[in-house]
Amino acid sequence: MTTAAPAPAGGPAPPRPGPPASAHTGFLRIREELPAWKAWLLGLLPVLALLALWVFVTTGTAEERVISPTILPSPAEVVASFPLLWFDRALTRNLAVSFWRVVEGFALGVLISFPLGVLMGAFTKVKGAFTPLTVFGAYLPIPTLVPLTLSLFGTGELQKVMFLALAFSIYMVPLFVAAVDAVDDTYLKTAYTLGASKGQAVGRVLLPISWPEIWQAMRLGFGVGWSYILLAEMVDVGRGLGGIIITSQRRGPREHIYLVLVIIVLVAFVTDKLWAAVGRFLFPYREAKR
Amino acid sequence: MEEQPKVGPTALGKLILFLFVLACIAGAAYYFRDMLAPGGRDGSAQVNMDEFKKVEAPDTKGITTVSEYKYVPGEKLPPVKGVSAYKWSATEKVVNFPINVWIGWLPIVAANGGFSPSADSIFAKKYGFKVNLKLIDDPVVARDAFAAGESHVLWGTLDMMVLFAPDLMKDSRSAPRIFQQVDWSSGGDGIVVRGNIASVADLKGKTVVYAQNSPSQYFINNLLLNAGVQPSTVKHKFTATAFEAAAAFVADKSIDACVSWAPDIYNIPEKVKGTRVLTTTAEANKLIADVWAARADFAKDHPEVIKGLVAGIFDGMDRLADATQREKAYQWMAEGYGMQADEVRAMAQDAHSTNFAENKAFFLNANDPANFERSWKNVTFVYRELGLIDTPVRFDEVMDFSALQELDKAGSFAHQKDESRASFAATSYKKISAESPILTQTIRINFYPNSANVFEPQHDESGKAIANTLYDPSVAATLEKVARLVGQYERAVVAVVGHTDSSMKGKGTRFEDVKALSSDRAEAVKQALVKKYNFDPNKFSVEGKGWDEPANPDDPMNQALNRRVEVSVYPPESK
Repeated sequence: MTTAAPAPAGGPAPPRPGPPASAHTGFLRIREELPAWKAWLLGLLPVLALLALWVFVTTGTAEERVISPTILPSPAEVVASFPLLWFDRALTRNLAVSFWRVVEGFALGVLISFPLGVLMGAFTKVKGAFTPLTVFGAYLPIPTLVPLTLSLFGTGELQKVMFLALAFSIYMVPLFVAAVDAVDDTYLKTAYTLGASKGQAVGRVLLPISWPEIWQAMRLGFGVGWSYILLAEMVDVGRGLGGIIITSQRRGPREHIYLVLVIIVLVAFVTDKLWAAVGRFLFPYREAKR
Repeated sequence: MEEQPKVGPTALGKLILFLFVLACIAGAAYYFRDMLAPGGRDGSAQVNMDEFKKVEAPDTKGITTVSEYKYVPGEKLPPVKGVSAYKWSATEKVVNFPINVWIGWLPIVAANGGFSPSADSIFAKKYGFKVNLKLIDDPVVARDAFAAGESHVLWGTLDMMVLFAPDLMKDSRSAPRIFQQVDWSSGGDGIVVRGNIASVADLKGKTVVYAQNSPSQYFINNLLLNAGVQPSTVKHKFTATAFEAAAAFVADKSIDACVSWAPDIYNIPEKVKGTRVLTTTAEANKLIADVWAARADFAKDHPEVIKGLVAGIFDGMDRLADATQREKAYQWMAEGYGMQADEVRAMAQDAHSTNFAENKAFFLNANDPANFERSWKNVTFVYRELGLIDTPVRFDEVMDFSALQELDKAGSFAHQKDESRASFAATSYKKISAESPILTQTIRINFYPNSANVFEPQHDESGKAIANTLYDPSVAATLEKVARLVGQYERAVVAVVGHTDSSMKGKGTRFEDVKALSSDRAEAVKQALVKKYNFDPNKFSVEGKGWDEPANPDDPMNQALNRRVEVSVYPPESK
């Protein structure tokens, strides 16, 4: 698991004192090299702890439990309701529908936010012009935009995709700007010394250097769609995972709400791994930087 | 040069192999498609229309108008197990009572003197506890707060309770106990249509948008079923709330109808050209009942608080009879909702508060055509046929009339008389049929040849009547089906039109005689309904059409279809 780390800024650092001896001893060591299997195992522990807690609060008859089954069903009950979700509620089809909506909304969102983000990162005037909008966007309670997209784009597929695209754009523009911003000035100065034009400075220096960060931004951004899928699918409910959740809230079974949540987490996990793998393939040098 | 002996397939071979494996996977996926990606079960299920009327066993003897339930609620209600799990302070005694934005809560707001718990409220002064009214408009949030024990009470319509009950009853402590009906929706819910849709039957093949799992869904599907339209022949579009349904209808011209709430249902026809109101709960004024339920554990521990809540709400209704008190209540409600008093006043016509006498009719009168039992069974039927619920809850597992019965014995509210019964002036069929009906329900009663008696017994070979038999054994169930529709449309006028077959046409039978027979049969249906369900006779107008109007003009000789009675619901004459 890697996360975006801002590129070191500024010129040559002053000589630093070496790390204290304690940094590399004991159970917790700073920036310790960890074999992959250990990292996996450690990652598994909190999940198991959470599961154990879940079992603990939902053991016994309905009236004996810490949390009533009308609020939280037990893991066994959730698993037992899986066939119903799979067959009666057509899980795979709804999953495919939701996934495709996220993909479409994402593609459209990138189409809008990528050029805007890069231009804002490169040109201060563009940045000055659009920064207030992106700040508003970040603070905007997105749910209130549902009726607006409804009257603009109808109730069909278009409305859902446009709504997701909007949510994606609002989230990703600042990330793209930051990615371009993070490019060290030295690279630009070197390019100018070599006689680069304005277009070359953007196309050959700013963009290529920020690609890994832009990729990282898209990887983070893709997950956001899943948190908005419920809102996007509030209208013309019926198909999609959001529809399953909304329906289960109203007429049960409660189990399906949690089951869908687990499924979304699994999907998020797999897609995130895919993003990371493609990232490693495209930008092997990013890993080497470490 | 050394030739490395080639092992394994060539590049082309690899490609073919790869494609072959891919094809195998695709083939397997296709073969097992129903397993991997099942189509699911949704509203497209075919409803067995004949089952619609068979929701209860035929009852041929029920002639009396009021027949009270004889059992004690505690015998049928599920027992409460375990330790109570709601939050309660024995010194503060504050009942958490969430409500939604709905004028039907005006009596409790009036009784409580606003939303916050108050020592000056009727509840505190007369019954010794306080009530905290909280605005929780989202039914899912209200349900979750109820399940978690944060609130003691759950607001809802009876149809919502049908959907919530199975899950809430998984824990006997949060099982809902319905103690009181607060109001009937009376103009608050409605259906707006586009274009030339004149009657519910015209919705066949059209697109309807509404909030799923809400009163809207019950409203429209109940109408479709009553009009003999398979819900699967209508294209249903679902939204999460009624507000979005109205917005979707306005935005999307391809949608032919929407089910929504006031004020949207009245605003849309004013603002959007070519739209009109098809029907509202102003006519179907006994279809959507607003009730409140208490947690079973709370009701068990604090029966006196439950009784006080029921009584206090009736006191609030008394209080509202006074104009100044009413204005005050509007003001309190406006403050609680964050609205203007004018906006609250404008909602006044959306609901009809149900007083003590009306609650008695709803909970206790087994013969009332729109009582709790029938409403609950009707909702259950509609939702089960749509595939929305699997194991429905029985009405007597949630209905608790114990508090009402105690108040009845004490005679505390004997002064509150039934105000919900509409009065009708006799009208002719010709007059009311000038407009198109909201919906027409076709029923078939097998009449004995040349007889107009719906309860005609069977006859032996010599033509002598056999005692305790019925020529049409399902006649009571058929009448029950009509009674439910007519009961739901309490304020509407109803035409009962008899038709005969044309088997004797041109065989010396005079048309006048046939017409008279069909008219007598329609009259017999009307009389049977009036007698058993205590309807106002003037609500009905009767007509006999003889053999003039075959059921299916393309198949006029289908005599089994032709022998029928059509019950049409017409909007009440505008006053």
